[in-house]
Amino acid sequence: MKAYINSYESMSCAGDTQALMNAIYSKKSAISIDTTYMNETPVGLGKMEYDDFFKILEDVVKTVLDNSNLENFNNTLLIVGSSVGGMAESEKHYFKDKNYKNIDFSKHAINVIGDYLDEKFSFFDTRSISTACTSSANALLLAKRLINVEAYDNVLVVGADSLCYTTVCGFHALSVLSSKECTPFSKDRDGMNVAEAVAALLIQNVKTDESIELLGVGASSDAYHMTNPDPEAKGAISSMQKALDDAGIKPSDIDYINAHGTGTMANDKVEALAIETLFDNVYMSSTKAIIGHTLGAAGAIEAIISCESIKRGLIIPQTSMIDVENKNINIPQELIKKEINYVISNSFAFGGNNTSIVFGVLK
Amino acid sequence: MRVAVNIISASKIYAPVKIQDLEDKRIVPKMMIRRRLTRNAKIMLYLADKCGFKGGKIVYASAFGELQSSVGITDSILNKTQISPTIFQNSVYNSAPSYFSLLNSDKDEIITVSAGMKSSKDALKIAALQALVSGERVLCVATECLDIKNIDEVNSCTSYLESGAGVVLEIAQDESDAQEIESLNDNGVIESLADLISVVNMNENGEKKIFIEL
Repeated sequence: MKAYINSYESMSCAGDTQALMNAIYSKKSAISIDTTYMNETPVGLGKMEYDDFFKILEDVVKTVLDNSNLENFNNTLLIVGSSVGGMAESEKHYFKDKNYKNIDFSKHAINVIGDYLDEKFSFFDTRSISTACTSSANALLLAKRLINVEAYDNVLVVGADSLCYTTVCGFHALSVLSSKECTPFSKDRDGMNVAEAVAALLIQNVKTDESIELLGVGASSDAYHMTNPDPEAKGAISSMQKALDDAGIKPSDIDYINAHGTGTMANDKVEALAIETLFDNVYMSSTKAIIGHTLGAAGAIEAIISCESIKRGLIIPQTSMIDVENKNINIPQELIKKEINYVISNSFAFGGNNTSIVFGVLK
Repeated sequence: MRVAVNIISASKIYAPVKIQDLEDKRIVPKMMIRRRLTRNAKIMLYLADKCGFKGGKIVYASAFGELQSSVGITDSILNKTQISPTIFQNSVYNSAPSYFSLLNSDKDEIITVSAGMKSSKDALKIAALQALVSGERVLCVATECLDIKNIDEVNSCTSYLESGAGVVLEIAQDESDAQEIESLNDNGVIESLADLISVVNMNENGEKKIFIEL
């Protein structure tokens, strides 16, 4: 069976999906400069306004359900992708008490997100995936395969990560945080913006007039280094090639590449090389200049952005581009109206974990 | 949807506090890399070695992930000391299988599951899916390392602070003689490993083929 994306919604520092796409096409970054986490050291973060992260989670999933052909999620498998799960809650208790006594470990781990949603919506079953920044991309990969083999009719993929001290301070320790809005693929880029988001996509084995096909998935491991990508870009090339093969299309069929494009020196250099090697002048950009790197949620929210790009027939321009480092890649800085049939979206993670997803217009 | 899988090999290990001989000097001869490994990674590498797994798709599970690294990071933040870049890179849930990939030049897919007390159950389901779509053998492995300072403040779920289990599986040609997974967890072992430990025990009892619901 084929897999179709039939309903989706997201919430990020740019707002809901409608607001996010408005920000993307008007090139208005939603990154804020923040000193909360880094002891008065300013860093650019994709920070949302909320009292309760779980309420956002519930609202986003409710919107997806309301916009779908389902009455409930009783016959739907939930697959959550998250890199930190309930870490923010554990930190709160640990920093206050300086011991573990008030930490509820069932609310610490990754599955807290799936457990919460299951309690609210009663899914058929749940899975929780955590492969760092490819978590929700891998959730999409599994969703497609489960639909393909006819194990499930409906799969809801949720990518969710909230900001916490561990990730903000941890990336600072790696010296990869930017103190301003990130500038992916620019020659003078100085790092990434850690961010938070919730994104949910309903994948089904039936299509509607509004469907986007989840056409191809591919994954690989660099087997090179725990944090630095393979400088020859073999892992990134491999995941993209596998996704194209799975989709049954050629590199020249792709109209737009939604790049991982974190804004770090290492990622952008290697990803640009991979794209230069595999594709011939295809339009590409990174939306992390708008909402930052939403870590485990990135694959899901960038899948939504890819779907919107196809539906609107608008290539996404690069925000905050100053002077492109690799002159052999094609990064548009202005909006381009074009019939878009195929988009590929990349997610790369610690451990050399690479995942690429191909989205296709309904044929 | 239910599939029958052959269990090619299986292994388990656990200890009340720290597993003593993970044969890491033999498995990882290079000291510089060995020193960077997390305890989860050492146990995972040991289990992969015992299962005779050299490379291919991996589905790894852990309910609590790299708890020791997480504690190291939060302690550094609390005490306003420098966070070790190595500890941060080791803190992600896919650290252990990524070290396997690095050490064995394994460029295949890695999926990491963290589903609380049903982590190994869900890992088996995903491993069966990966075996079904690829037609290849898949390593399904789960580890838990809870040996952190003052763990007694919160630990009520296991008598063994370090534990792990792994199986190599492939899709069976037919369903004949396939068995449902029995509940055969070892007493005191953390519930998140229960299904994998049960499959290892079934295999030790002579069962070679099991059913897994996708």
